[in-house]
Amino acid sequence: MFDKLYYQDKGLFLQSFHPAAVLAYLFVLLLLSLLYDNPLYLLSLLLLLALLIRGVDGFEAWEGFLKAGVFLMLVVMAVNPLVIRAGATIIWHGPDVPFLGRLDISMEAMYFGAVSGLRLLVIMSVFCLYNLMVNPDNVLNLFSRAAGKSVLMVALATRMFPTMVRDLKRIKEVMQFRGVDFEEGSMWERVKKYSCLYNVMLLSSLEDSMEIAESMQARAYGSGRRSVYSRNQPRPRDYLSMGASLLALFAAAWGLHNGCGRYAFYPVADALVSDIPTLAALFVVLFYLFVPLILSEGCKYCRFIKSKI
Amino acid sequence: MPLYKVENLTYYYPEAEKAALKDITLIIEEGEFILVAGGSGSGKSSLARALAGLIPDFYGGRVGGKVYFQGQDIRTMDRGKLAREVGMVFQDPEKQIVQTHVEAEIAFGLENLGLDNEEMQRRVAEVVCFMDLKQIRGAFTANLSGGQKQKLALASVLAMQPRVLVLDEPTSQLDPVSAEDILNLVKRLNEEMGFTVIMIEQRLDRCYHLADRVLLMEKGRIACDGSAREVARKTSRDGAPFLPPVARFFAGIEAPSLPLTVKEGRKLLRSCIIIERDMVLRPAAGKVGDSPADLAARGSAVCLKNLWFTYTGGQEVLKDVSLDVGEGEFVAVLGENGAGKSTMLRHLTGLLRPDRGTVQVLGKDVGRNGFKEIRRHTAYLSQNPNDYLFQDTVEDELLFTLKNFGLKDTSVVDEMLDRFRLVQYRRTNPRDLSSGERQRVALASVLVTSPGLIILDEPTRGVDFRLKAELGRFLRHETVKGRTVIVVTHDVEFAAEYAARIVMMSSGRVVSDGEKHEVLGKSVFYSPQLGKMCRGICDGVLTFSEARERIYPLLGNGAAADEGQGVMM
Repeated sequence: MFDKLYYQDKGLFLQSFHPAAVLAYLFVLLLLSLLYDNPLYLLSLLLLLALLIRGVDGFEAWEGFLKAGVFLMLVVMAVNPLVIRAGATIIWHGPDVPFLGRLDISMEAMYFGAVSGLRLLVIMSVFCLYNLMVNPDNVLNLFSRAAGKSVLMVALATRMFPTMVRDLKRIKEVMQFRGVDFEEGSMWERVKKYSCLYNVMLLSSLEDSMEIAESMQARAYGSGRRSVYSRNQPRPRDYLSMGASLLALFAAAWGLHNGCGRYAFYPVADALVSDIPTLAALFVVLFYLFVPLILSEGCKYCRFIKSKI
Repeated sequence: MPLYKVENLTYYYPEAEKAALKDITLIIEEGEFILVAGGSGSGKSSLARALAGLIPDFYGGRVGGKVYFQGQDIRTMDRGKLAREVGMVFQDPEKQIVQTHVEAEIAFGLENLGLDNEEMQRRVAEVVCFMDLKQIRGAFTANLSGGQKQKLALASVLAMQPRVLVLDEPTSQLDPVSAEDILNLVKRLNEEMGFTVIMIEQRLDRCYHLADRVLLMEKGRIACDGSAREVARKTSRDGAPFLPPVARFFAGIEAPSLPLTVKEGRKLLRSCIIIERDMVLRPAAGKVGDSPADLAARGSAVCLKNLWFTYTGGQEVLKDVSLDVGEGEFVAVLGENGAGKSTMLRHLTGLLRPDRGTVQVLGKDVGRNGFKEIRRHTAYLSQNPNDYLFQDTVEDELLFTLKNFGLKDTSVVDEMLDRFRLVQYRRTNPRDLSSGERQRVALASVLVTSPGLIILDEPTRGVDFRLKAELGRFLRHETVKGRTVIVVTHDVEFAAEYAARIVMMSSGRVVSDGEKHEVLGKSVFYSPQLGKMCRGICDGVLTFSEARERIYPLLGNGAAADEGQGVMM
């Protein structure tokens, strides 16, 4: 059921980037989603993310993120006006509430709630895209040189997790056949029953860990300095994507320094597009951020681009 | 200079009073294919670990004597250098894979050796090609099948380009097809690439004939050492438990030679006996089981009717499965991986509910009410006996089941401990026992409720011949007492020897169901070695007792010596 949420190699162009390039790109997206206040900028980022997610054939996975995001958005929209009094356009005068004071709901507070929800949706979409676009093993491999043992531990845990889930299910069935009812009894009784289950798991895992360690030793683990098997060769597409990410970051920093992307909600919300530079800065940043998508489309329709990147 | 020279090797595991290896002296030449055979606890695995340098380095313990690899004491060798020379593949593929992806796993040993990236790329590519792993090169290791995992474990060792391959029961956890695949690869490595192979195996029918040399171990010592045929000849006089079934059969008679394969066995059989035309078609005399009339008279223990089941992923696993098992029957369910055997088992234990069809067990509708209705009267033994063991003592393990079902009479515990020869371990922690003893504890812990139905999932995996025979006899005895036994297994030899009825499944359907001679006698691939040997010569023979009963009387006068094929007796 959860398979769709995790990386699956579909042989898509957007999945072919070097993990360093993907990480740099997603980092820029994440940073911009945190720095920008202008709803137009945030909406643009969401649109870009939607196109990227479509590019990695991940709409089905994104659906789950969207549902959670929209729900959180509604919660923020509902809660924010109750605690923020800064808005000038009051749309509903509420009663006096102890500690909170008069419950006046302003349009700006609701607007701010909605935009905060939108920001949350963008951030969740960035993580969704990470899950779909980059092989976690390749990311781990990237850090192998710097933190080899930690990376190996994470890989081992990742590899063992599905096995442990399977074992847990099987042991639970065995226990049920020995007369254990996990759903019955008081909370304390249930905790005791589950402790039996985890006891079996723990004992078996300890025994298994010895065998894994033995297998590792038989393959010379710990016999000397390790090297790192690198499967990811950087290609022109990676340099282009990384360069574009950096340029987008610089453009965004310049824009923010000059007020492009900033937005005031209180006491009265700013106009979405106050001047031409606001649109120009957005256009420039988006252009750079669109580079992976442009390359992806270029590869689809242009043999020359495909051969060069 | 020999590849290995072992001098008076004696080894004790930490805190052990009994030596695992006693005064082993051995010489191994380069390029040999050595099969190490013997019962559980005979020291096979310890010897393999000593040759791979893991004993005593990894385990600790006390060691006496020396192991020399190419003239150098193995204990003074650099571990990296030793790993480049000796590669070891273990029994359980699940417990030797470290990385999340196939390619990374193959490279794991190479990274440990500190090779440069270019060299690693080359070796990984070579191994992927040789082992035909292209399809799964980028796959997540946890999603691989058992056979693919073991192949990967072998690949990751081969990538290190060792000269010696030590294999500790590499096929014991695999289905017959995957096991054959691994054994063929090992044979190729020995014959075509010149690898020295040291392999431990329990299922001798699969690999006895592949070996140049056989070491038979007993109580930590090498009891017999020689070429496969020499060892076969020497051991054939002692009841021959460590011979393939074909050789074991001929060991009981004054045959001119001792065949090791079905082909040799058939040739010898044809030369030894005069085949009567009607004998080929005559059914076996010593059938186990009852006539259809007897079966009809029995009550139904398990009744599956038109069962259909599809997993949430959309995979249709059971397709119109119907099965009626009477009380006191011993049924073995055979079939390839993914045939639907385990899914069917989960239905008749009530752990899954059918999409369509009905499941009745011991007269209760399981599909509707789930496992709670039947579990008090059903014993279920999963593939891994460790799933059952977590109490401090063996006795507590049995009492745990009784307590859960609210059964007050604890005298049954003594009876079970006695029956499974566990009395001496009553106060022992079950995790301190051997694998065979653990299985007995697990079985005792589910049988304390005196169930009417006993279900076992792959009970013979990794079990030696003695324990297997013990289990088979026990289960048969239970059926005599009126209990129903259903065993899901890949072990055709076990099914042929002990079950009365065979259900064969394929692609979610029951493709064959009937008395074992009917089903296994017709099958070419799902047939025990004796069945294959007698096919067309003396049809209907599946077990030793049947072979003895039908073939022995025909031998003796026409035994023609055949110098070219087996071992002269």
